[in-house]
Amino acid sequence: MTAITPLITLSQRRFELTARRPRELFVPLITPILFALVIAPALKVALHTGSAYESFVAVGTIGLLIPLTTMFSGLSVIVDRESAQRELLAAPVPRPFLVLGNLAVALAVTAFQVVALLGFALARGIDFHAGLAGLGWFLPAAVLFAVGMYGAAEALAGRVPRQEEYIARVPAIAIVPWFIAGALFPITALPSFLTWIARFLPLTHGLALMRYGLLGDSSGLHDIWGSGSSTSMALLSLAVVALFALVLTVGSIRVFNRTAVK
Amino acid sequence: MIEVEQLSKVYPGGVEAVAGIDFQVGPGEVFGLLGPNGAGKSTTIGVLTTTILPTGGTARVGGFDVVRQPLAARRVSSVVFQEPVVDRSLIGRRNLEIHASLWQVEPRAAKTRIAELTDALGIAALVDRPVSGYSGGERRRLELARALVSSPSVLFLDEPTVGLDPRIRQELLEIVGRLAEQAELTILLTTHYLDEAERLADRVAVMHEGRIVALDRPERLRRRLGRELVELKVRNDLGIALNALRERGIAGDDAFAIGSTLTIPLHDLTAHRAIDTINELGLASSISAREPTLDDVYVQLTGARLAAAA
Repeated sequence: MTAITPLITLSQRRFELTARRPRELFVPLITPILFALVIAPALKVALHTGSAYESFVAVGTIGLLIPLTTMFSGLSVIVDRESAQRELLAAPVPRPFLVLGNLAVALAVTAFQVVALLGFALARGIDFHAGLAGLGWFLPAAVLFAVGMYGAAEALAGRVPRQEEYIARVPAIAIVPWFIAGALFPITALPSFLTWIARFLPLTHGLALMRYGLLGDSSGLHDIWGSGSSTSMALLSLAVVALFALVLTVGSIRVFNRTAVK
Repeated sequence: MIEVEQLSKVYPGGVEAVAGIDFQVGPGEVFGLLGPNGAGKSTTIGVLTTTILPTGGTARVGGFDVVRQPLAARRVSSVVFQEPVVDRSLIGRRNLEIHASLWQVEPRAAKTRIAELTDALGIAALVDRPVSGYSGGERRRLELARALVSSPSVLFLDEPTVGLDPRIRQELLEIVGRLAEQAELTILLTTHYLDEAERLADRVAVMHEGRIVALDRPERLRRRLGRELVELKVRNDLGIALNALRERGIAGDDAFAIGSTLTIPLHDLTAHRAIDTINELGLASSISAREPTLDDVYVQLTGARLAAAA
């Protein structure tokens, strides 16, 4: 028994509860896979774009998949509140472990889904040319963005009393930013005020980093930062996503403590 | 094992749920916290289990301050909550194993303990089924087993029989009664069922509007009202009847009324003599004599019938 044993137990519990509801694993996959495999190829034909566009959109759909999956994971916090949360609060474990245990499983589920999406895309013939260095940008960007989004989900779940109210807020948090963060087209194609707003969205930075990592395409980073070396712009964007993850995680723990302990 | 001093809790908005209460519970003691809904019992348990922060005073569980040493206080205690608090989609055994692991019970010891407890509580046959299929009584027994897996020094039972049918309630009370015989286990039981408190508790505290209005052994609380009391339905004005009975030396200052029912504790008088006098005065449409109960103590202290207020 170590100090980390309770955290492992909390993650195992969350995983077992998630595994009993397979829809939590597969439902968030449906829309992004439709985008990557059906809508992107259709747009390619309709707009007479090249195969690079399919790759562009395939990475862009990760920017939809991560928010959807993490927001779905946040629902379990509300379910817990109506079931075993009081038992967990009475347990001799630091309360942040209750949030971190959920986060670990949300990350695992998200990773499974991102790998599935990329697998489907590769099978469909969509091209990625990522080396080890590229993965070195892609993975931290995806993980940190998922951590931040889970923080948002946990904080929202802590503040709304019912599942219906939670679900009503999901589109504004998970879907609206996706349309202006450069998922389907470069942010410079937006009206200029929206381009400026997009530059402040963590998702814009996450997507630019993921494309830089998976496709070697730094145009998204240039659209955000202007000129500069690709590496320094990538580092700046990584810092933005890391800050997003840190602030949302700390914030979600604070919200949890405030709402769970009266 | 439990020490509470000047404990208070004022919720945002100014609602004073607990207003400076004091009590101590010794090792191996079963302590009942009585009172209707809103009396402050659940807030007190919430503070002791560290899910509610007090706004004043101190509370210690197993020697650990619940505000400054919450992890240590939680490590020595377990709770059975008023409402179902289980993972319904998991099997019963998994619920028990998770508790054991969170309380850092060694896996081998946990396995043995789970086998002992599920046998003792009569749930061994269903512990490998999902909890969603359990009846209310079975789930309650599972929750009790779960609370005991970590061999706590202090067990909090927050209205454990609420919502159970009478037969299951009796079964559960028997189980808790057996637990109460274990010298090493201290139990704090909240309830608004007076018979539960009388049956199980060594001492009871009666809470009313956030305060403890009486604290003693159940029989000593009852004895405050004498060996017997008479209860009469008054025909006309209650005040006139009470004055008449006081003049005749039947009623004392501790007589109390709910509606048109007047209850008179008899300290030195016999019920026979009191009833004769009441009949002589023609005050009552019905009269009965009986031994005092904790409910009478509660009514006398608070002016409200506990069951009605609950």
